Amino acid sequence: MNLHPMKLVTIVCEAYAADAVLRLLAEVGTAGHTSFPVEGSGARGRRLADIPEYANTQFEVITRPEVAALLLERLGAELFPRYAMVAYESDVRVLRPGKF
Amino acid sequence: MSDALVANLLSPAVLFFALGLVAALVRSELKFPEALYSALTIYLLVAIGFKGGVALAEAGLGRVWLPALAAIGLGAFIPLWTYPVLRWGGRMAAVDAAAIAAHYGSVSAVTFLAATNYLAAIGRPYESHAVALLAVMESPAILVGVVLGKRAGGGPPVPLGLVVREALFGRSIFLLLGALVVGALCGPDGMEKVGPFFVTPFQGVLALFLLEMGLVAGRRLEDLRRVGPFLLAFGIVAPALNGALGVAVGTAAGLSAGGAMLLGVLAASASYIAAPAAVRLALPEANPTLSLTAALAITFPFNLTVGIPLCDAFARLLQP
Repeated sequence: MNLHPMKLVTIVCEAYAADAVLRLLAEVGTAGHTSFPVEGSGARGRRLADIPEYANTQFEVITRPEVAALLLERLGAELFPRYAMVAYESDVRVLRPGKF
Repeated sequence: MSDALVANLLSPAVLFFALGLVAALVRSELKFPEALYSALTIYLLVAIGFKGGVALAEAGLGRVWLPALAAIGLGAFIPLWTYPVLRWGGRMAAVDAAAIAAHYGSVSAVTFLAATNYLAAIGRPYESHAVALLAVMESPAILVGVVLGKRAGGGPPVPLGLVVREALFGRSIFLLLGALVVGALCGPDGMEKVGPFFVTPFQGVLALFLLEMGLVAGRRLEDLRRVGPFLLAFGIVAPALNGALGVAVGTAAGLSAGGAMLLGVLAASASYIAAPAAVRLALPEANPTLSLTAALAITFPFNLTVGIPLCDAFARLLQP
């Protein structure tokens, strides 16, 4: 099978940050994303997500390495100071590179 | 007064809230699906908005504008006195003081609903269109609080348009105002058609919702240790003072004892939905645990159990 290297950027943030993340994804030129509600705990303690307003969202974005780098850089500079969030990048391999 | 207090504590609404608290404290596995919480919220807001709209159509805008103006003024004033108390009395960071002030000036719809429930239970009449006061009192304090916080601290620049949108057109206020307009357009004829759905089951739905609110508040009780004694005391004293102020202003604006009590409860209540959303956006440096714990784990239970009967007693006392 012919697989192509890509980057997977995962962003876990409070739901209040979701709009800002979506705007940033569009600005840096990602081709798509998947998001879902999550709960858990972090450096600042539990992140209760018992009602939708306090929920946390996980975004997964597969993109080219240069876009992933730009995305992480702008996340760190623009959104990290404002919102509770973590973000990380990992290597993945995809079937159809043209989609990303 | 003590009879009313006991009767309130033994009402289904308060007892179900207590049950939720207990469930959270004993770490019961009881959990409401998120979708049910959303559905109950929508039902309650639409039901109260619609009922208020019908009442508004009957009463006419002429009788509402003065109390509404009073509610807006109250909402804007509360952060102005609570901010310096928190900032200098409680030695809090400016953004935290501003954030908490915004939460306390804004309102909690559930507390308002519980207060109407209380009035219905003791058979005291009130202006049903008072729900319009709930609608107009949500945003002013948020805007004042945000301005206070922005003046005090730098922080990253804020998309002000977004904050105003969040404060004025959050989900709950949109639904409430929308249902109010629908109710006002339909009038009593419309009420006849949907009354069996929106009025009769209302108290049961509220009890169910308060069970969930008990869970939500109970899960935050352990954060009480992190907020310190000053905020603990503030969470009880501020609503008592604001409640008295609201009742006095409501009476002066010509509301009945029931209506003045509702304005008092609105002033006493602290927002835990609209204010956190707008404040997170505008004052991201503020610690949300402080304001949310105070509003949800201290002030909400206080109002539900003691604050509502207190406002009622004071309202009767002031009534000419």
